[in-house]
Order: sequence, then C-alpha cells, then structure tokens
Amino acid sequence: MLSPIDLTARQESSILGRTNPLVKLGIALGWLIGLGLMHDPPRPMALALVAVAAGLVLGRIPPARLIQGLTPLVAAAGSIALANLVFAAANTDPAAHELIRIGALRLTAEAVVVASSIGARVVAIVATGVVFAQTTDPTRLVDALVQQARVPERFAYGALAAYQAIPRLSQDLGTLRHARRIRGVGCDWHPKLLIGLLVRAIRHADQLALAMDARAFGTTPRTAFRPLMWRWTDLAVGIGGAVIIVLLLLA
Amino acid sequence: MTLTPASAPTAPFDATSMAETRWRTRDILVAAVIGVAFGVVFWAWGLAWGLFAPLNAARDLLYAVWLVPAVLAPLVIRKPGAALFAEMVAAGVSALLGSAWGVDTLLSGFVQGAAAELIFAFTLYRLWGFPILALAAIASAAAAWVHDWVLYYPDVALDVQVIRGLAMAISAVVIVAAGSLALARSLRRAGVLEGFPD
Amino acid sequence: MGVGFTYRGADRPALAGIDFQLPAGGVLLIVGPSGSGKSTLARAIAGLVPGDFLGTWTGSLRVGDLDTSSSDRLQLAATVGIVFQDPGSQLVMDRVEDDVAFGLENRAWPLAAMREAVPAALADIGLAGFEGRRGSRLSGGEQQRLALAGVMAARPSVLVLDEPTANLDPAGAAAIFEQLARIKATGEATMVLVEHHADSAWPLANLILALDASGATIDVGPLDDVLARSRSRLADAGIWLPGDAASMARSSPNRGVRPASDGAGGIPLVEARDLRFAYERGRPVVRHVDLRIRAGERVALVGPNGSGKSTLLRLIAGLLRPSGGIVRLDGLDPGGLAAGPLARLAGFVFQDAELGFIENTVEGEAEVGLDGRSIDDLMARLDLPLGSFGARSPYQLSGGEQRRLSVATALARGPSLLLLDEPTFGQDRRGWEAIAEIIDELVDAGTTVIAATHDLAFAARIATRHIEMGDGWILADEWVGGEVATDRNAAGHAAGHAASDPAAASDPAASDPAASDPAAQHPRKPRKRSPKRSSPPC
Ligand SMILES: Nc1ncnc2c1ncn2[C@@H]1O[C@H](COP(=O)(O)OP(=O)(O)OP(=O)(O)O)[C@@H](O)[C@H]1O
Ligand SMILES: Nc1ncnc2c1ncn2[C@@H]1O[C@H](COP(=O)(O)OP(=O)(O)OP(=O)(O)O)[C@@H](O)[C@H]1O
Ligand SMILES: [Mg+2]
Ligand SMILES: [Mg+2]
Repeated sequence: MLSPIDLTARQESSILGRTNPLVKLGIALGWLIGLGLMHDPPRPMALALVAVAAGLVLGRIPPARLIQGLTPLVAAAGSIALANLVFAAANTDPAAHELIRIGALRLTAEAVVVASSIGARVVAIVATGVVFAQTTDPTRLVDALVQQARVPERFAYGALAAYQAIPRLSQDLGTLRHARRIRGVGCDWHPKLLIGLLVRAIRHADQLALAMDARAFGTTPRTAFRPLMWRWTDLAVGIGGAVIIVLLLLA
Repeated sequence: MTLTPASAPTAPFDATSMAETRWRTRDILVAAVIGVAFGVVFWAWGLAWGLFAPLNAARDLLYAVWLVPAVLAPLVIRKPGAALFAEMVAAGVSALLGSAWGVDTLLSGFVQGAAAELIFAFTLYRLWGFPILALAAIASAAAAWVHDWVLYYPDVALDVQVIRGLAMAISAVVIVAAGSLALARSLRRAGVLEGFPD
Repeated sequence: MGVGFTYRGADRPALAGIDFQLPAGGVLLIVGPSGSGKSTLARAIAGLVPGDFLGTWTGSLRVGDLDTSSSDRLQLAATVGIVFQDPGSQLVMDRVEDDVAFGLENRAWPLAAMREAVPAALADIGLAGFEGRRGSRLSGGEQQRLALAGVMAARPSVLVLDEPTANLDPAGAAAIFEQLARIKATGEATMVLVEHHADSAWPLANLILALDASGATIDVGPLDDVLARSRSRLADAGIWLPGDAASMARSSPNRGVRPASDGAGGIPLVEARDLRFAYERGRPVVRHVDLRIRAGERVALVGPNGSGKSTLLRLIAGLLRPSGGIVRLDGLDPGGLAAGPLARLAGFVFQDAELGFIENTVEGEAEVGLDGRSIDDLMARLDLPLGSFGARSPYQLSGGEQRRLSVATALARGPSLLLLDEPTFGQDRRGWEAIAEIIDELVDAGTTVIAATHDLAFAARIATRHIEMGDGWILADEWVGGEVATDRNAAGHAAGHAASDPAAASDPAASDPAASDPAAQHPRKPRKRSPKRSSPPC
C-alpha cells in the first residue's frame, strides 16, 4: 500500500528534521539553479554526495530508507542520461571524436561527457529531493508555507487535507480492483479504475470540505497552534547550503 | 438557546445560483484531490518512465500524462487559478512521495500549470470547449518542453528537440484535452459533480 | 408550513414542513426511514444546507437568534458543531492534537487558549495521552471520539451528530453514547442526534422528531407521547423503535434448526489452515486462523473495529493472497481462480458498498453477470424497483439504498457462497428485514452465508454459528441457539469449536473473553518469521 513517508522520531528530532522546511526548500532550489550552471560530471556528483551525507548525519535518515528511496529514482534518472547520450548534437558533428558506431548510431566522446554530466546532475537532484522528503513533515511544511511564506492558507491547508487521503485512496483502489474480480469482469488495469478512483477522491473531498466548513474553515484569518519561529539552526543550515553551492560553482 | 424553525413562511431562499469566482471549500478540496490523485499517478509514471526509455523520442507521446491536472481541474472547478493550483499540488505530492526530478518537480509543475492557466485567463474563464482545452494543453506542453530543454536536454540535437516537441503537443491534445473531457463527462455521469457548472 | 428543502435537480423535497422547538440543553432525536431527510436536516441545523448544498430552501431555522440560512458562517460555526457518520473522512490534520486544534485555529483562538482547550477536550473524551498519535492509525471508535473532541473543544452550544456510531463496534458505540450522556448531564450543549440504535438513543432524547419517506413530519414530541400517539405509524414507516432489535434477534426462523450439513465426509466449502495475513511487514492482521465452513452454514463474523473481519472475508474470496497458510474454496485455491469462475463461486458485499460498483447506472450494476436472467423481482423486494431507480447513478443513492443494491449485485451469478461485510449498516428496519429474509431464502436454497457484522441483532437473526475475532485471532467459534450438526468432528476439528460447550475447548482465549492478551494465551505461538509481503492476486 502506498503511504506517505512516516518519519521516525530520530529523523524528526535531527538537525535537518528541525530545520525550517522553507530553508531546506530554498537550499534545494538554490542547488537546482547551481546544478543548471554546471556542465561536468564531478561537481554534481560531489553535491549528490554532500546531500546524502547530510541526510545520513544531519538528518539521521536510516541508511536502508535512503537507499530504498534513491534506487528506483536513480534508475529513472539513468534513462535521461541515456537519451542525452544517444541524441547529443555532438553525435552528428563530424569534428567530434567518434568512440563507437553501431549502424546509424554514432557515439562521440563529447556526447559521453554531456550525458554523464546530465546524469550526475539528475542524481544530485534526486538525492536532494529524497533527503528533503525524508526530513520534512508535510504538516510543518504547510505551516511554514502559510506562516512564513504567506501562501494563501485555505489553499495550503486544503491541499494538506487532500494529501492525507493518500493511504485511504490507495486502499480504495485495491477494493475497486477486488470488486471487478469478484464480480467476474476481470482484474486488469481497466481505465474505469481511474474513473472509480476519481469518483472516490471527489466524494472524499466533498465530505472533507463539509467537515472543514463545519469547523469554521476559512471564515476568518486563522491563528496558529504550532507557531513557527526562525532559529539559529535555520540560519546555520541555510548558510551551509549556500556556501557549498558557491564553492562548487567556483571550483 | 432555542432551535426554532419558525412557522411563519418566509420568502424562498434560492441557493441555486453560484458565486462566480470565490473558491468554496469544496472547490479547493476537489481541485486538491484531483491534484493528489494525479500526484500519485505522476509518482508511478515517474518510476515507469525509465522503462519507457527504449521508446526514445516516441516516449514523449506519453509525456502529457504529467499535464492532465492542469486541464482537468479547471474544467471541473472553473475558477481562476485551478490549473496552477492542481498542477502544483500534483507536482508537490509526487516530489514528497519521491520523484526522479526532486525539487525540480515543483518548478515543472509551476511552469506547466501557469502556461495552461494563462490560456484560460485569456478566455476570462468563460470558454471550456475542446479547442480551448487543446490550446491550454499545448501551452502547458510547450512550457514543459522549454523547461526540459534547458535543464535536461541542453545539448540534444535541434531536430530531436523539434520531434520531442511535436510528440508532446500531440500527446497533450489527445491525452490531456480529449482525456480530460472524457473524464469530466464520466464523473458527471456518475453524479459526483453535482453543484459544479456543466 | 415550517422548513423545507429541495436539492437542485431532485424531483421531490428532501424536507417538507418541518416544525419544532428544542429548548436549550435538550436532546432532539431525529428518526425516519432511509432517505427521509435526516442528514439534510442535521446539515441544515449546522448551516451547511443551504450553502454547501445547492437547492431551494423555504421557511426559517433559528439556532438561538441566528438564522442558519443567512447568518455569518463564523458566528454559526462558533455556535453549532457537527459530527458525521464516517470517522475517517472528518480528520483534517495528521496528528491528534493538531486535528483538535484545527477548528480553534479557524476561529482565530489565541494560542494560550488553544493550548489549554486541546488537552482538556481530549481528556474529557477519554483520549488523554493521544496528543501526538496519528489520527489515521486510530481505530474507528477512537477516530469518532477524536472527531467529537475536535467539535467539543470549541465549546459549541449546539452539538449535531449524524449517525455517529454507524461504523463502530458495540464497545465503540457504547463509548460514544456514554460521552453523549455525559454532555447531556453537564448541560454543555444542546444536542441533535440522528441515530438508528433506538435502544441507546431514545432514552437520551427529550424530543423525538419522526420523518416519513417523503421528508414530512410523522410526529414530534416527547418520547412517551410519540410512542403513545404514533407507535404504529412509526413502525409502518420502517423506523427502528426501542426494543425492536431484541425482538428481531428473537424472531430468527432458524432457532433450533440444525445447520445444514453437506453429508458426512464431504469437503468443507471454506477451509483455512493456519491462515496468516499482513498488509505491512511485521503487522499481522490475520493470525493462524483455522476454519472449516460447510455448505449451507450461516456464519456471523463478529469482533471489534480492526480485528481483521474484512480481511478474512477477502482472503476467503481469494482477493488477497495469504502471507502464510492456505485457504480453500470448494477445494480450490480462490486466489488462483480466474474472475469468471470465482464470481460464480462467491459473491461479495463490500463494507463500503460504493467501492463495489463498476457501472454508471443502477440498471447497469444490477445486470453485470446476469446473462439475461431477470432481476426485477429482487430489485423490487429490495425497494429499488428498476422502473424508478434503473437510470440513476449508483453513487447518488442514499447509503441504505447503495447497500441494498450491492446485495443484489452479489447475487447476480447465483454464487454458492455469499460474503457480506456489514450488510445492515445504516439500514432502516424495512431494509434490514428485506436483507434478512433474502438471506433466509438463499440458505434454504443451499447458499452458504458468512456475514461480518457489528449488528449483534442481525448476527443473532441470521446466523447459527458465531465466530468472534480479536486482533487477528479467532477468539471464539460457537454454535448458537441450534442443534448441532451430527458430524461434529468434521465441522469442529480445526477451529476447535465444541457443540454443547460454546466456549471452545481447545482455545483458552475463547473460554475467557476477557483474557488480556490473546497472543500470549493462544496455543499456537506466532511464528518467529514475519509474514511475507503479499500483493493481491490481481
Ligand atoms: N447531495 C445531494 N444531492 C441530491 N440529493 C440528495 C443529496 N443528499 C441527499 N439527497 C436526497 O435527499 C433525500 C434525503 O437524503 P438524506 O441523506 O437527508 O436522507 P437520510 O434520512 O439521512 O437517509 P439515510 O438514513 O439513508 O442516511 C434522499 O432522497 C436523497 O437521495
Ligand atoms: N488495505 C489496507 N492496507 C493496510 N492496512 C489495512 C488495509 N485494510 C485494513 N488494514 C488494517 O488491517 C487491520 C484489520 O482491518 P479489517 O478491515 O480487516 O478489520 P475489521 O475487523 O473489518 O474492522 P471494522 O470492524 O472496522 O470493519 C486494521 O488495523 C486496518 O487498519
Ligand atoms: Mg443520513
Ligand atoms: Mg471491516
């Protein structure tokens, strides 16, 4: 069953776990921009290693979880590198150094560099993303978005409430498939399943909206039960993240 | 404290008409839930995406699955901002569940949602026929195409880029525009869109 | 002429001419058959109809000096709180304390006041210490109490409850009624209650409002007056009255009847040996279940929320693959059967009836798998005549109607085994009786029935064998009120249920229902090996 990431107490009380989600989001975005400026394999790989190390040490992510989170994504990232290898403009450039030729396919040294640096870039993006998700409680993220980034609160908490429905919806999907089987129409992945799932999702949304309206949602600007304040760790982590990307860009 | 349905007849209160642009809680939740459902689809699609690699550029004929909430949600809700909101929620959910594009998923969601939103805004949120949906879907695909070019395929040959773009546009029209219309029709027939504009 | 409401597009009003006065501190009980507008009225009092629902509203409904159809939502929400039927769909925030605080944040309470009110509300409801837990991980009964805490924390002067115990096991329901009695005694809030459990709800009420199928008032007044004046009219409308449940249970036509036997030595229709299942590694949901059920038996599966009843039914139907042990349906592995043959062998009514639907119209639903046979009679008996219901969307039916429809769909292929998951949930008395009678006929015709239910009256009415589950174990397995099959050994061998001694001999946990930890007492210790992760066969 699909369920949102469940942080362990250690993860939550770790340095990254207590860092303001906006700071982590800012770092991740800053790194993303920095990665866009790097066109070599080693520096993105270094950044990926930093992210993983930070996740293990500062985020106390259990290694098994980190690996579990990274593996399928790195595999998906490999396909992007492959596309770059095969379709690189350099492959058709007569001046480029040819490495191999299989029929119409010509791979050049330049293309390999491009593909491996893109591959490294994607691995770095994946690593940052997994570390972010594995140290951030969605409720805290939305609290911070509303209290500190001034995201409209009705939309933010509405989205959060919908997000909490994921386990329920994935159970519903299982039952929809069971129903098709026990009623003798087979249990393939029929498009009707998507419709059935959306029907359920919308009905759940209706009920949730009713329950939220009944609890005065959106009637007046809210107060916060979990007020967030900027802390020194936020500053330290933020500076650390900025220093790393600047150093790498200068390297 | 008394609960009193007064016996005196009063003028019938007609709640059948709808406020035009204010989002009801129900609108927010339905758009969010469409975003969440597709966020999960994105997540699964992202894991499968690598398996489609052998399809090469033809893979982009399947690209538009990433763009469905940007058209389906506004088609159902018909409120300003629905395209952007639903697409961002979907992107955020898939990023939290684990996506190969990490935080960039949010950026993708933003440009894809904003591009579709722009088209709907030009119609003042009044036109919901197939041509407008197709246009919004293509705009969204175009935004995704530019974004991917810059970030993931910077050195890919121009002709391949153009083929990718065409494949994405075709898939946007078929999967996103036609698909959203079909989905919305099914949902309406199932009776769950009672209270949303037809 | 009172309050009236017609949903947009509906051909008749959901509420017509409702007129009553409820003094502060009183308790109003709204009763009526399925579809009579009880939920609509409850929502109207909370200011959600009209407003969240489109339609035409007439008359005026006042709570104190607020008019519900025109008042400011914030003011109204500060005065009225509402708890709905499905505990899971009212939880907004992940953590328990955040969820209780949600309504207070929305009303812009200052932080200090919230820090005081949240733990107090949880303590009042018996959930002290649950602050940091996840709402989605609580049992149904706990979730419903959490919903009540979330509403009560804001100290509303009116509390509306729409079937708050429908999803709960008897203990969970009792806990809610206890809370309601406490709230009534302290006078914290005026209450409006919609509830089918007449025996628990009626004594709580000062005022009864009975609605008929068309949404009009049958009678309104204090309990004794209403019973004296309109008892028969209420009964005719299919409304549950105090004492009904007990008499229904007694009315079982099968008392003293020997459960049908498939003849000595015949293979059991359902057999489980050391059956185990876990959705997630390390969290067993079904533990070492041994079971033999023979053709023609009628079995009730009872036990608290989360004890594994629905999961066991799905294992028997081959919808989930066991993590360990085996299950056999008519001697075959149900998980390995193709959809067609499986559907002819077993029919299923899902706990959430709506999830069992695969078509867009009632008629389409009813016709799946019929192969041209007629279903008109069955639909008419279930009060769902195709003439008026056929073209409607199954998702737009009332809860009771949906459940009856899913009973019809489960019978389409004439299966030899009928698996029912909470078939009577939310039914009025007429729907309840219709379902019970149909089951009687099926059993007479040789069908085997296994029903998971919290409805003990229903269990007593339809079943000759009760299997009680607790935390994945079978705690007790006993014949009730009937002479026992001669072939005691075949029937009782695995599960160890003994005929004249209801407390199964080989199962110490069963002889002492209060036994603290079934795991510690069960003769077969759980294996060390944690169950394999298993995916459903389809
Ligand atoms: N959202 C809705 N839109 C249209 N019609 C509705 C809606 N909700 C209920 N109805 C219809 O209004 C009538 C009253 O429904 P309501 O849910 O109030 O009944 P109820 O007495 O609570 O029934 P039950 O005991 O089955 O819960 C029914 O005919 C129902 O089909
Ligand atoms: N699809 C699922 N994925 C994960 N866990 C599940 C799933 N379905 C049920 N569970 C868990 O398994 C346990 C047993 O659930 P089950 O639905 O079988 O209980 P039940 O006896 O039918 O309860 P109820 O009386 O509330 O219907 C519960 O703890 C439940 O949370
Ligand atoms: Mg109701
Ligand atoms: Mg169950």
